Amino acid sequence: MNTFYVSLALILLLSVAAGLLRILRGPTAADRMMAAQLFGTCGVAILLLLARGFDALIVEDVALVFALLAALSTVAFVRRAWTGKITPKGRRHDHR
Amino acid sequence: MVVNAFDICLCLTLAWLAWQVLRSHDLFKAVVLFISFGMLMALSWVRLQAPDLALAEAAIGSGLTGALFLSALQRVTGNKRGERRLDRNEERHDKRA
Amino acid sequence: MTIVELIGTGCVVLGIPFFLSGTIGLLRLPDIYTRLHALTKADNVGLGFIVLGLIIQSSSWLEVIKLLLIWFLVLMASATSCHLVADAALRKKIKPWTREK
Repeated sequence: MNTFYVSLALILLLSVAAGLLRILRGPTAADRMMAAQLFGTCGVAILLLLARGFDALIVEDVALVFALLAALSTVAFVRRAWTGKITPKGRRHDHR
Repeated sequence: MVVNAFDICLCLTLAWLAWQVLRSHDLFKAVVLFISFGMLMALSWVRLQAPDLALAEAAIGSGLTGALFLSALQRVTGNKRGERRLDRNEERHDKRA
Repeated sequence: MTIVELIGTGCVVLGIPFFLSGTIGLLRLPDIYTRLHALTKADNVGLGFIVLGLIIQSSSWLEVIKLLLIWFLVLMASATSCHLVADAALRKKIKPWTREK
């Protein structure tokens, strides 16, 4: 076990906890969503550091899944919750 | 020592985040907090030495459920004209513009 | 500690300040657009340094490919979502922040 890498992961975890303030305070919805996306990337970095720190290679697979699904919630936010439009028939179309 | 500090920090942040999800009146804020909660939950599964559960939590908890919640939120709160304001501050931005 | 480990650890440590600056930028900057700027820079370069440092120290090819794939996926995700959010914000006519006078 490598304590140095775990302490680096601890620093990143503290920065994530500080970034939570932006979600709580954030004036617009996009600010909150961008903070959540930064958490995703920070989570990938923390997982990589933990994988090195505890010599557990399978943790890198978890980081891979994180990276794969990082864009999903932001895309859903922009396309659905923020700019989506519901017509009376219930079908949505964009206004470009 | 450092490992203990990491675990304690993770626990405290998780508990605080769960409380914030429950007490927030703004639905959108609750959804975003839930997504971050899923991320930290996956981290704590890794620390509990259950990487398979962490894999499932990362895929389902913070990825798919977040997208589904956001999609549902549009159905719940879209108004008649199809316009959608997630919070009042956006209007303030527009007015200042 | 060998020279390879030293360089790798140096790269990993170099990545941390970028994440910290991303968080500070998220908290301190005044506007959606400026926050997007701080955030994506932090993501890409910070994670890039960490991945580079881990690649230098890693022993198996499989791990190297996995790490590169992770970095590539995060790059794609961050670029796509940043562009989407900025585009939607512009279309919602949210004005970019300017210094008063």
